[in-house]
Amino acid sequence: MTTPPEKLSPNPESPTGSPGSSEGSSLPDSHRPVLSGVTRYALRRALLIPAQLVFVLLILYIVIDLPTALAQTPPESLAALDRGFFQMLFNIFTGNWGTAAYLKYQLPWTQLFAYYIPPSIQLAVFALPIAAVLAYPVSLLAGWSRRPGVDAPARFVTLTGALLPVFVVGTLVLNALFFSYLDYFQDVPSQGLLPADFWFFNHGGYPSWILYQFATQPTGFPLVDALINHAWTVAAISFTKTLIQASVVAVAYVAIFFRHARSIARSVREEVYIVGARSRGISERTLLWRHAARAVTPSFLLVFALTVPEYLGVQFAVEVAFVDQSGFGYLIFASLTTGELSPVIPLVFLIAIVVLVWALVVDLIALRLDPRGLAGR
Amino acid sequence: MKDTVVARPADLPPAPSRPSLRERWARRPPNLEFLVGAGMLAVYLVAALSALVVFWSSLDQLPQNVVWVPLENPVGPSSGHPFGVMAGFGTDLFRALWQASPWDLGIVLGILSIDVFLGFFLGAIAGLDEGGLVDAFVTFVSDSLGTIPTFLLAVVVFAGLLAVAPKAVGLPVFVAIFGIILWPTMARTVRERARIIAHQPYVESARASGASFPHILLRHVMPNAVGPVLAQVPLDVAPIFFVLSAFPWYYNCQLPGGPPVPPGSPPIPYLVPSLPAFSPLPSNSFPEWGYLLGFGTCEGFSFPGGFNYWWMYLFPLLAIVGLGLALGLLCDGIERWRHFDR
Repeated sequence: MTTPPEKLSPNPESPTGSPGSSEGSSLPDSHRPVLSGVTRYALRRALLIPAQLVFVLLILYIVIDLPTALAQTPPESLAALDRGFFQMLFNIFTGNWGTAAYLKYQLPWTQLFAYYIPPSIQLAVFALPIAAVLAYPVSLLAGWSRRPGVDAPARFVTLTGALLPVFVVGTLVLNALFFSYLDYFQDVPSQGLLPADFWFFNHGGYPSWILYQFATQPTGFPLVDALINHAWTVAAISFTKTLIQASVVAVAYVAIFFRHARSIARSVREEVYIVGARSRGISERTLLWRHAARAVTPSFLLVFALTVPEYLGVQFAVEVAFVDQSGFGYLIFASLTTGELSPVIPLVFLIAIVVLVWALVVDLIALRLDPRGLAGR
Repeated sequence: MKDTVVARPADLPPAPSRPSLRERWARRPPNLEFLVGAGMLAVYLVAALSALVVFWSSLDQLPQNVVWVPLENPVGPSSGHPFGVMAGFGTDLFRALWQASPWDLGIVLGILSIDVFLGFFLGAIAGLDEGGLVDAFVTFVSDSLGTIPTFLLAVVVFAGLLAVAPKAVGLPVFVAIFGIILWPTMARTVRERARIIAHQPYVESARASGASFPHILLRHVMPNAVGPVLAQVPLDVAPIFFVLSAFPWYYNCQLPGGPPVPPGSPPIPYLVPSLPAFSPLPSNSFPEWGYLLGFGTCEGFSFPGGFNYWWMYLFPLLAIVGLGLALGLLCDGIERWRHFDR
């Protein structure tokens, strides 16, 4: 699609065979490289991940630890500052992340993260499929259609959606749902993925599998643990709450995704094979859902990988808007607003690992779907 | 090429003169999106300039009227107060938004110009000089910084600087930090487009005829790589106002369980708008749309459904979304106009 012609594989039968390099299928086996082009690319990217992690940690060290150290250390001992960085690197990579100073539990960050992360993963597991089901057809249709009646409203709505702060949307949704939810479940739609505390007080108190009023046992995922412990009503409430929050996350995220994905669908519209197929009388519907949809999938995957941090930002904000005290975003907001920066470095470290590995996986899937993308990498 | 000068045959019709602006307008009129976007932006500019003139002596202080502070029966939109009154703040909302417009326009324009300048320039160089030093730098930095959510990075950098020099760090530093944080995303999308352009036949032939790198960059690559910039600019408005509004909202709302107050600190009095620890705003009566939105969303709702003072969050929201939409319409209009797509 975007490949310069001279970099395409010399052999049309093996498009995955390391284009751009000198070897072709006519070489004897002993002269072939041991690893294929995709494997070499994957290895190179995987080896780059630790370097990128160290770079991210260096930036965080410069902006968080160094200023406090500079403010406290007398000038004659400034030479020790670089040792501070290596000490921080060592601590982060060995899992020594310090203790939360301000939370009433006084737990190490590793343990707190272990409590807070699973509910956020549960939310993401619900939100991502909803977002995909919404984003894929909307972006494709709006980018494809030449009628202003489809594209212009889609752009207007998604740009407005991207500009609306998620917490405002969350507050509005909470208010809209409150009374119906209270009538039906005897509960409120806010306060996390578990029923609110008053629900438990009205139903015989907290069960033994919930610690500190939010950390569930044994897996940490509220819905799974409720099912394991045969708490069917808790599971139903948890399911509904997760679904509501996930829908808000998905709608807000689709607005971000759409702006990137629409132009991809637009560029496919003018591809030679699409124009050729149209001239042969293939219906627009077949062109769109059979040919164009297949062509944009790898690029859509790459856009998704690029916007994972933005997705996380949206999800954190939704967790705060829904007073999701068991959520990871809530933990971060609660510590940031008071100026407590100690969880930021391990947090960003975790996010960076997720994003970098995820970007690599998605990149490889995209290459599998469309091997032409390997050229120039 | 220059040594063969061919004389113009006498029987040719005279060469057409350069069309006037009016003719060009008639041939290729700007589309509706462009006009609407430019019109909306003009309204914002007029508001900001007039606010500079009217409120010049106390531009950074909102007047607070004690009578309007209580949350019981606040004054809604009426003839005297077209946007109502922001209870808690104790200020007329129309005046607050108007007075805030030069500040917010300055913040947004400052951040976006740093963002566009760095992202467009470095992204285009990286795409054209694929595999070069700038390309390696841009790719590495954007891949690494791209792993951190924007709002988190902005807050963390600002809070870190605040720890060193609390007096020197203010709104201009916030603008600079935000612009520097946003550019890698911009550079990355520009780089992808520039990479494609760099392999187009017209660039190849320019290179073959000996055109210099700056010439190719400025003449061929950058004008054709404007598309991603125009798509990204309106999107970059969103995280700015998210940071400016979400933290005041959270801090003022005093949600159950947080924020934990450090031991020994005086209790935060109810209804006095307060700023979180790392706010870029100089005082708690500073006019700023995001701050007003955060505070209004917090105080405008009584959860669950006790009262709903809708004007307290709706009008700041409209100001913010309107600015983003104006930029979005303008950019989309320019992009479609460039592609002869009415």
